[in-house]
Amino acid sequence: MKEGVSVKEIFKVFLKIGTFAFGGVYSMLAFFERELVTKKEWLTHEEFAESVVIGQMTPGPPIVNTGIFIGYSLRKLAGALATVIGQVLPSFLLVLVLSFLYIKFREIALVQAVLKGIGAAVVGLLASVIYKMGAKLLKRPKNILFAVLAFLGLAAFKLNPIGLIVAAGLAGLLMFGGE
Amino acid sequence: MEILQFFWTIFYINFFTIGGGYVMLPLLQREVVDHHHWLSTREFADSIAVGQVTPGPLTIMNAFIGSKIFGFWGALGAVVFSYLPSIILVTLASHYYLKFKSSRIVAASFSGIRPAVIGLLGAVALTLFRASVVDLPTGLIAAGAFALLVLAKVEPTLVILGAGVAGALIY
Repeated sequence: MKEGVSVKEIFKVFLKIGTFAFGGVYSMLAFFERELVTKKEWLTHEEFAESVVIGQMTPGPPIVNTGIFIGYSLRKLAGALATVIGQVLPSFLLVLVLSFLYIKFREIALVQAVLKGIGAAVVGLLASVIYKMGAKLLKRPKNILFAVLAFLGLAAFKLNPIGLIVAAGLAGLLMFGGE
Repeated sequence: MEILQFFWTIFYINFFTIGGGYVMLPLLQREVVDHHHWLSTREFADSIAVGQVTPGPLTIMNAFIGSKIFGFWGALGAVVFSYLPSIILVTLASHYYLKFKSSRIVAASFSGIRPAVIGLLGAVALTLFRASVVDLPTGLIAAGAFALLVLAKVEPTLVILGAGVAGALIY
């Protein structure tokens, strides 16, 4: 990690990331790498890879967590906070505007029609996320069993999803801990 | 105070959002829709759409939910309490990085959690399907969105905006 990076600089870079980072995790990570490793040279490729792992292994959104790890490594807590505020500020302002419009105009027939289309697209979106994750992760029968049990636990038996996640973690530990 | 209950809900949900941002959805749906009835299923789907069309992680949908129920302070508090667990846990993880890195326990638990998350998301998708896919056109939009995202790899933001336009034209 580079020494002497100011908190203000960290904030500025992450504000840029927060403004232009559309798309999935991987396109956003590519954006991170270009800004932080190639352009600014704040960290090496190896350090970047480590922060990505930390981001994925900790609870919360992986991208934000990767940023927090980088910010913390550069400038401790102030650096970590600068990455979060920078990343979140643009979308937060946008959400405030959208929610104002939503509450004000949602009863209008045209807006209802737009929302009906969007609601259907969200179903397709979730299905595509499931499909992509499934194609990557559900290669072994054991993994498929985990997915099916979790689905049944929530859809059929209405179990608490937090309980299901914890149970899956413990079961994973027992089944895959020796590998 | 209902708003404090909301903040607490957001806070602990984010502690358990393990294995990617989408894990939040089943937890949120249970608390915000089923348990507290702060949102209807349709409004929950709208929140997901907002989280998706804005830059950055889906988590920002919590600010939309907060704003919808409690106004500005709900939105601001939702953001703070969404990211507080991340700040606490990642800071701790950076501190104890070497121990954490060698931890096979974490890796093994994740190999159980990741596939389970797929099943949980399936259950959420099923609920949203029942609420949002109500006729042939909405069925076609859902199928079309899936095909564009999986086969043509179109940006999700564009797909959602396009579906909004399609909705306006059809209904």
